[in-house]
Amino acid sequence: MIKKIKVQDAVGTKLAHDITEIRPGEFKGPAFRKDHTVCDGDICHLQRLGKDHLYVLELDEDEIHENDAAVILADALAGEGVTWNGEPREGKIKLLAKWDGLLAVDTAALAAFNMVEEVMCATLHRYTLVKAGEMVAATRAIPLLMKRVPIERAAAIAKQNGGVLSVKPLRRAKVGLIITGNEIYHGRIKDRFAPILMEKVTSLKSDVTAVEFTADDSEMISKAIRSHLSTGCDLVLLSGGMSVDPDDVTRHGIRLAGATEVHYGSAVLPGAMFLVAYLGELPVLGVPACALYHKTTILDLVLPRILAGEHVTRTELAFLGHGGLCRDCEECIYPHCPFGKGT
Amino acid sequence: MKSFEELLASSAKAHGHLCPGQAVGVRMAMLGCRLIGLEDPTEHSQIKKLLVYVEMDRCAADAIAHVTGVKLGRRSLKFMDYGIMAATFVNVKTGSAFRVLSTEEARDLVPLYAPGVKGKASQQLEAYQRMPDSVLFRVQQVRIPVKDCDLPGPTRYKAICSRCGQVVRDRREVLVNGEVLCKPCAHGAYFKEAKEITWPEMNWTPASAGVSREPHRKRHLPDPVEIKEKREILHSNVEIPPH
Repeated sequence: MIKKIKVQDAVGTKLAHDITEIRPGEFKGPAFRKDHTVCDGDICHLQRLGKDHLYVLELDEDEIHENDAAVILADALAGEGVTWNGEPREGKIKLLAKWDGLLAVDTAALAAFNMVEEVMCATLHRYTLVKAGEMVAATRAIPLLMKRVPIERAAAIAKQNGGVLSVKPLRRAKVGLIITGNEIYHGRIKDRFAPILMEKVTSLKSDVTAVEFTADDSEMISKAIRSHLSTGCDLVLLSGGMSVDPDDVTRHGIRLAGATEVHYGSAVLPGAMFLVAYLGELPVLGVPACALYHKTTILDLVLPRILAGEHVTRTELAFLGHGGLCRDCEECIYPHCPFGKGT
Repeated sequence: MKSFEELLASSAKAHGHLCPGQAVGVRMAMLGCRLIGLEDPTEHSQIKKLLVYVEMDRCAADAIAHVTGVKLGRRSLKFMDYGIMAATFVNVKTGSAFRVLSTEEARDLVPLYAPGVKGKASQQLEAYQRMPDSVLFRVQQVRIPVKDCDLPGPTRYKAICSRCGQVVRDRREVLVNGEVLCKPCAHGAYFKEAKEITWPEMNWTPASAGVSREPHRKRHLPDPVEIKEKREILHSNVEIPPH
């Protein structure tokens, strides 16, 4: 139960919540913290802050304070790789990444959680790469005082699959590159693809352990894939030859190498002619030539997910369509843009 | 209790089709029974321990009745015409009672729990199987003051309407200015302009049907002694009103 009392009558009572003080250009923060016992000297200070009345809380057995509620909610929302610490401030708790990795959000459970009245949780987009200590979400109970049951129900909803939020660490892959194309293999032009792919791989803390160059020859491509496998690569990236010309035989080479699954085409621009294949459990990615020109492409959306252990299929490539259109800005600010965020 | 899959299949068969309401009803009944501590309500030892109040006459009501085995005629199924997707499960022996309400937000969450499933009903059916109970239901612990005239068992009370002479069972009579009336006489009825009639073949009986309409089919007609014995078995505790 919440009771309103005059500030003059508040001496000896405990504050129900933090009271914020703002001195323009000088200070913004709590002048008084929750549970502070009001004494004579506080009255004038509180009045200067515009407080003529204060709330006094008398918690019934079935009621809960926003701070205690926020703790229950944060604990339920945080799955593997997500943590929270410290006291709630103004009823809010921040959830932080425990380690570097890819943020996973159970969006159905999140929506169901937020459907419970009087609780909220806002998160970053799923599939965002996050660093240890980075804020990935925040939660709070909205009123100062509420019934305990909806909070417990919201917590149960949040826990349905082990927590709404988790951070999946990226594995350190041994990546084999295969640069295809007669123009490069025969030395007509200088390769520019390998450095680009190497940079993308190393920025995700994986290692390029072998690079092979092949002609537009499916046999040769297939042999190169098998050669990478034999030297211990656990991820293969192929560049070029993904288009529709007669010389584009990379797909064929991947099949010849014994691919058990081939998913060609993604709902992303740039990157429509991207390919994801699997040789058993080993992922093989076919990167179209757009990656030579555009700073950010489908590869930037899919590679972290592959390294986080996700098995990417036709469905995942199709679901990228919403938000999968790059605006091709003069200055690329990815990941701080909508590209790839609609899935 | 049988598995959800088995119950859903048999419930759909009994109801006539598989629909989202079957999934919700089966799960509501499974949860309700679990909450009041009845593992298998259709088992003979538990069948008399359960009362269920359903608050809607939609597909889910049939599923609830199917899973729990409650029946209107056995007085274990109570229909409360509230138009609310909810049912209350009462353990008569312990008195514990829980009202399980289907949440409205579950409907809005369907596309998130079953993305890519085509067709509204198919998507709902799939989603209502995937959602956890915490999303699909809210539960209230309730107290149900069950009157003895609402309990299963033989008819304990009868009254006669002082206006139309109709016998009214189980204290459903109404007292108006000291006069005992049936509800239609006291409050009006769901039917209008009632007029008693005669109809063709007024003397039909099941036995006469066997003789006159199906002359070539040999029919076993139980003798009166056999009928009497069966009645004693089936209704050993029940008063049989004289015809």
